[in-house]
Amino acid sequence: MAATTPADARLAADIYRYSPYARGRRALVWMWDRPIARALTRAFITIFLVTTLNFALIRLMPGNAIDAYIAQVMNEQLLSYEDAAQLASGLFNLDLDKPIHEQYLQFLGDLVRGNLGTSMLSQGTTVTSIITAYLPWTLFTVGLGLMLSFTVGVFLGLLAAYRRNSLFDHIVSSGGSILSSIPSYVTALLIVVILGTQLRLLPIAEMRGSSSPSVAPGFHLEYLADILFHAVLPVLVYFIATVGHWILSMKSATLATLEEDYVTAARARGLSDGRITTAYVGRNAVLPLVSQFAITAGHVVGGAFFIETILVYPGIGLRLYKSIEQRDYTLMQGIVLLLTVSVVVANLLADVLYAKLDPRIGRAGGANG
Amino acid sequence: MSVAALSRPTTRSRITGPLASLLDFLRLLSKKPLGLVGLIGVLFFVVLAFIVPLFVPYQDAVDVTAIYQPPSAAHPLGTDSSGRDVWNQIIHGGRDILLVGFVAGFFSTLIAVTFGSLAAVAGGKVDALISGAADFWLTIPQIPIIVVLGSILKFNSIWIIAALLALLAWAGLLRQVRAQVLSLKERDYIEAARSLDLGLFHIIFKEILPNMRSYIVIHFILAMTAAIYGVAGLTLLGLIPLSGQNWGLMLNYAYVRGALFFKDSLFYILSPVLAITLFQLSLVWLASALEDIFNPRLRSSG
Amino acid sequence: MPTKRASAAPQQLEADQVLSVRGLSIAYSTRRGPVQAVRDVSFDLRRGETLAIIGESGSGKTTLAVSLIRLSPRTAKITKGHILYRKEDETIDVASLGDSDLREFRWSECAMVFQAALNSFNPVISIWEQFLDTARAHGMMDAKHVRSRAGELLGLVNLDPERVLRAFPHELSGGMKQRVLIALSLLLKPSIIILDEPTTALDILTQRAIIDLLRRLREQLGFSMIFISHDLSLAAELADRVLTMYAGTVVERASVKDLFYRPRHPYSMGLLRAVPRVSGALGNVVSIAGSPPDLINLPGGCTYSPRCPFVIDECKLREPDLLAVDTPNHDARCIRWKHVAELVGKEEAVVAEKLGAAT
Repeated sequence: MAATTPADARLAADIYRYSPYARGRRALVWMWDRPIARALTRAFITIFLVTTLNFALIRLMPGNAIDAYIAQVMNEQLLSYEDAAQLASGLFNLDLDKPIHEQYLQFLGDLVRGNLGTSMLSQGTTVTSIITAYLPWTLFTVGLGLMLSFTVGVFLGLLAAYRRNSLFDHIVSSGGSILSSIPSYVTALLIVVILGTQLRLLPIAEMRGSSSPSVAPGFHLEYLADILFHAVLPVLVYFIATVGHWILSMKSATLATLEEDYVTAARARGLSDGRITTAYVGRNAVLPLVSQFAITAGHVVGGAFFIETILVYPGIGLRLYKSIEQRDYTLMQGIVLLLTVSVVVANLLADVLYAKLDPRIGRAGGANG
Repeated sequence: MSVAALSRPTTRSRITGPLASLLDFLRLLSKKPLGLVGLIGVLFFVVLAFIVPLFVPYQDAVDVTAIYQPPSAAHPLGTDSSGRDVWNQIIHGGRDILLVGFVAGFFSTLIAVTFGSLAAVAGGKVDALISGAADFWLTIPQIPIIVVLGSILKFNSIWIIAALLALLAWAGLLRQVRAQVLSLKERDYIEAARSLDLGLFHIIFKEILPNMRSYIVIHFILAMTAAIYGVAGLTLLGLIPLSGQNWGLMLNYAYVRGALFFKDSLFYILSPVLAITLFQLSLVWLASALEDIFNPRLRSSG
Repeated sequence: MPTKRASAAPQQLEADQVLSVRGLSIAYSTRRGPVQAVRDVSFDLRRGETLAIIGESGSGKTTLAVSLIRLSPRTAKITKGHILYRKEDETIDVASLGDSDLREFRWSECAMVFQAALNSFNPVISIWEQFLDTARAHGMMDAKHVRSRAGELLGLVNLDPERVLRAFPHELSGGMKQRVLIALSLLLKPSIIILDEPTTALDILTQRAIIDLLRRLREQLGFSMIFISHDLSLAAELADRVLTMYAGTVVERASVKDLFYRPRHPYSMGLLRAVPRVSGALGNVVSIAGSPPDLINLPGGCTYSPRCPFVIDECKLREPDLLAVDTPNHDARCIRWKHVAELVGKEEAVVAEKLGAAT
């Protein structure tokens, strides 16, 4: 139905432009041009996919969690299949008699209402309540560790690039590459063994848990100090595990930026070294790192699984370990879902920050395909 | 003008024969001291894990009178909580770890190279789907998902473990392979191949992949490090029911039996820690030296 | 980079001289040895005058330009010579300025418009902030004053200040960016503006607009220009005097008319001859047979001798000095200039046409 004459084309364009839907369409186009709208869509799709994967895992896989649970209950509690299945439906929030697609829709509906089912082991406790008790500690330690390592890493990387091939550069760069190749759980073990057992610098046993039982929770200094005391080890491990990556990335980004014409031009304009380093070199070099932040956050949250277990820090990673050990499938799936949501949200925040820092993305859109 | 004449080698000089190419490679590597150290490290561990065990018999005799002994002539790395020789465990404990690393690295590279080049060459919806899947995988916490997958599928063979751990590194590599192929695609000789109508598979396997050899090797190494990180960590937490002897299992015993808190156990714990770390470090150094040698301008930014 | 040189304190410049480069040599250190990028270059620049520096890429013209505000990379060192600049009544040697004096000198006395104007702006801050940064670095703290000055200058280069100042660099076209950079270069009223291939990345129409703009601004504001180009036609349009550079040194120094109608060095002649156009408009430098010499191992004698059609044995003995030729204020580094003069003659006509008729 292509327009044949210019007049036709104009008419068609006018009809398109002034139709009652035009406004909504323009709004949609405008929205789609916002990078944040695209990021939100991506986030939504990611969460949806993980949810579906979760459902498939417990329901569709051969030897799936529900069948395994029913068999176990029939054996241990000597129940009939029907009764065991009844029990299982209650726990998993699934009506096993319905066709699979209805079960799936019901599962999604419950999820939207924040209902993740009930823990299989601690019966009567909802998965949501377990997660809300443990997740904050993980977010707190991972967030603090990452922010510290990002700040320190960016600073050291920048300095190493400025003093390229100096002794400082060699120490920082090789240190960074060594640190980034040591698995985080090895770092955790080494900290316990060296700082705790061998040198006795840290009271490792006292540092277990998220706070000391003797200190009452509340918004007062003693409790906050106690929380920080208990968070030192995981934060230190996350810091050591990620700082090398930031150093190396920042160094190479800075070296590339220093070659840019606008840096030379800024020097030609007589700008002070401080201003050039912060607003011209630093700000541009840090951009690619911001976009890596989300992926790194994902790795660290994944690594929390090892770290919290080794350090006995009651975050979501430790809880996940326990739920796997005890085959608590409902809890497992809830935790995996929540971890995904956390990482996706971190991703979104990084996207927003990136758009703020880089006008090329924030305004015209389209630059990040 | 034949297509073969149009494809160019990525290394600096044309080489005849595998021996000459090896020598050439070593000459380039010798300019990167860290890379050389890495290569020596990797060879050392390969020999230690696969060849030395053939000559040193496995000992698991328990000797309760010799628990947590410091290094001595009889026990170069001391003894463990049951009085067994740590050096012997290190020798016999590398095989499974390295094997899982190799196999997972291979799977991971295979997935990434196949689908990455397919996405780049096919473009359109296929590309959107594949890249979307890679982005999806990159933004979720992988370790917990692999562990949950493993707990349902049961980690009961080294192959399943390797296949699951291959999931750790494929996505990042896939994105880079795709970008690389996209840029190779722009070059003249691919255009020439296309205008001669040589077909998708010919273009991928005869024109593009040979130009990415170095790239693939580097990422194979990096995928290995990811898999070894995973296998040692999961064994440490006792989530992989590997029997026999391996470095992760040594850590697991140390962890479960509370050796972490015994002052005398230092050598027992440090031995597997150093074995894992030094092997990882050798791989990383080797990979980054290779990257410098082959693609000085292709350092990826993320 | 405080440099100590053995030579005695330089002389004062005359009132109408703004810049005098004397015996300047610059070397890059590389693994293979020092690259002598600039060798014994001398020239003067008068107030309001435009000097074009032409030559093939690798002839050292950009190294020279950049060194005038001491912006060379760290591996480059001034090994000899002075860069004298007359600031009001006193003469300073730019080659030995300390860090803070140097920073002050840059842009407020001598501004530079770069080859890659497209990338001369920081992509993440607005044009206004880049004006303000520049002003603040030189003690202009009053934002309102900077705003009105920026508005005035952007008006001069035919841009809408409201729109441009708010914009980020990626929102401007190449030609607009080049105009903004020219406006920015005028911010502190410098006496000299160095333009390093200012139109290279632009399309033909934009090139023309920029050249017209520069010509008009020079008449209105009376600054001096040093114009680096491999594009002879642009040099011909803007310049009063021309330097031809080859292998890091000046091979010919002449008024624009002399150089284009009466070149006396075989290299200048080759450059001009390489572009035969009946219209008189000269295009880009087309290569001359052979390639520029290796700056680490320079050929003995005249550096152009390996490529020179008029070479004789004597050329290989030593590098000639700049010799005065048959027109006033005109020097060529060639012992065979008389031979060139015979071929080219003295009349005012384009070299390519004169030689084209002869051969």
